[in-house]
Amino acid sequence: MNTSSVRSATLAAALFFLLAGCGKPEAVVRVGFVGPLTGDQAAHGLDMLRGVQMALENVKSQGEILPGYRVELSVLDDQRSPSQAVSAAKRLASDPTVVAVVGHLNSSCTKPASVIYNEARMLHVNPVSSNPEISRQGFDNFYRVCPTDDLQGPAGARFAVEKLGAKKIFVIDDMTTYGRGLANEFMKKAKTLNVQLLGHEGIAQGEKDFTPLLTKVKSLGADLIYFAGMFPEAALLIKQRRELNVPASFLGGDGLYEPTLIQLATPQAAEGIYLTTLGADIHQVPKAKQFVESFEQRYHHMGSYSSYAYEATRLALEAIHRAGRPERTAVLLAMKGIKEYPGILGVHTFDEKGDTTLRTIGIFTVRDGKFQFLEAFEGKS
Amino acid sequence: MSSSELFLQQVINGLTIGSVYALIALGYTMVYGIMQLINFAHGEVFMVGAYLGLSVILAAGLQAPAAGSLAWFLFLIAVAAAGCAVLGLIIERVAYRPLRRAPKLSLLITAIGVSFFLQNAVMIGYGAQDRYLPSLLPAVTWGKGAVTVTPLQLMIFVVAFLLMVLLHRIVYATGFGRAMRASAQDPLAARLMGISVDKVTALTFALGSALAGVGGVLFGSHYSTVNFHDGYLTGLKAFTAAVLGGIGNIPGAMVGGLLLGLIEGLSAGYVSTQWKNVIAFAVLVLVLLFRPRGLLGERVAERA
Repeated sequence: MNTSSVRSATLAAALFFLLAGCGKPEAVVRVGFVGPLTGDQAAHGLDMLRGVQMALENVKSQGEILPGYRVELSVLDDQRSPSQAVSAAKRLASDPTVVAVVGHLNSSCTKPASVIYNEARMLHVNPVSSNPEISRQGFDNFYRVCPTDDLQGPAGARFAVEKLGAKKIFVIDDMTTYGRGLANEFMKKAKTLNVQLLGHEGIAQGEKDFTPLLTKVKSLGADLIYFAGMFPEAALLIKQRRELNVPASFLGGDGLYEPTLIQLATPQAAEGIYLTTLGADIHQVPKAKQFVESFEQRYHHMGSYSSYAYEATRLALEAIHRAGRPERTAVLLAMKGIKEYPGILGVHTFDEKGDTTLRTIGIFTVRDGKFQFLEAFEGKS
Repeated sequence: MSSSELFLQQVINGLTIGSVYALIALGYTMVYGIMQLINFAHGEVFMVGAYLGLSVILAAGLQAPAAGSLAWFLFLIAVAAAGCAVLGLIIERVAYRPLRRAPKLSLLITAIGVSFFLQNAVMIGYGAQDRYLPSLLPAVTWGKGAVTVTPLQLMIFVVAFLLMVLLHRIVYATGFGRAMRASAQDPLAARLMGISVDKVTALTFALGSALAGVGGVLFGSHYSTVNFHDGYLTGLKAFTAAVLGGIGNIPGAMVGGLLLGLIEGLSAGYVSTQWKNVIAFAVLVLVLLFRPRGLLGERVAERA
């Protein structure tokens, strides 16, 4: 055997193993999901993931999504941190089998991640990041299935003034994209409603002692505290508000809609607080009945954001199905053709920004240690 | 709510968190005094204390205040103190003693390593989400006029005060305390006098860690939630308090802790919550500019 034949044999072998290594690409197409699966908001993230998984199971059981391809999830954790969100987004963008993404809970995560998804020309269906600025970036790949804070904030302000008779309001937010945005929308509306805004302060996520701030609120004689933020900080505010005997009533946004809030704040302190939610009580939506029943049967409670994650995932899968090809651009094009989609939350049509035309804001209170639905506002900003 | 009532309430708010800072700061300062080491794992010992309390509550199936709750609460404190003392001994034996002759920088790195280890161990063991820690003391509010205080706040003041008095007695009125002060001033001379500096160092770790453990239970019960990264921010604040009072100085740590709590409370209450850390650290910088060794600064002559 001369050297050249050895060389060519080696080359052939190398080539063979190289090809075998790559193989024929396995027929898999993936949908990404990113949310806070660890950290203090893990309860929300897990609820969303369960909704996503259930959507995939249900759609699969109704027939093949993409002929010849197995549809899988690619699940990543953003720990509610914007920087983790961006690195998760980059990982999904660099994986060619991922054709669509459902994701991010926090607006502060969704906003920077949406830039990555847009550059990757990947369909991005967002379940619950309600900050209105996200859809104003002009991204044609962005869709959102929940109403936004320019509806939620004003609905909260109207409820506070018209139903609770608030005259002196103190506004607190958590200085995130979501919290600050919601607080500003609330105040914009409140200013037109003849109430006195006593002040507006930010607290940092992860802090625990809010007694100095609440003492100040008490001394100013506020009759309502509006908090735009998430449930871990809300729970501490609610508990400390009671310990300091602050007489003001308490109203928050959808970030509070998580049963852990009542446990962390203690049921006694949480009794009688109010919150606005993105959409009405899911238990009273006829189309969602089947989903709610099977979800509660499996997990013994209804996650606050599960239905949105479910809806967003079904939309993404519908777009993949209609595209008929495992390509991002085809999926994006197919999504543009979806009009009047009959989901469990209602019939979605998406405006030019990608926001749903569903505009209902729900109002809940806590009674006997449980969330109780009060009424629905048909939002107009 | 009159302005004097407002001020009094803000002082109570500040002293509550300040007492916890002081308990943790004592551990930083004692270890620094004896080893010239900033034990960055100390904040995590504090956090483990809170989780030990949680474990007892879960194991005993305690839910809410009931008859005998006070006894349980004291038991919780005792368990956290004992558990953290043992943890302190282990940390010293495993992570610091083998490096006794190494440069101080190596010790600092192992301290950070221990800190990461404890955070992640607790995260794996207990989960990453906030855990609910029920308060065993009645959730009532005692108030005179507009000023309120909860039984738990009183408990924090009393426990912190008693422990500080006890520590002061130990350090200034026992043989061990004398050995500890001697080892801090001059380890070589102490050894020549027949003091086992290794043993004294280990016991100092145990003592400081026990105080942090008690702080953890008080902190966790007061805010009713615990999380594996709670030790980071609170530990950093307590370290700041130790520096403010004069690191290495035991009364300094007590004063620094209470003072830092007060500054935070008053600046959050009278200026703005967003600015409270800025103001607290600005005060620290000012104090250090004029008194580089802290308020009750360690006397350098003693060590020279």
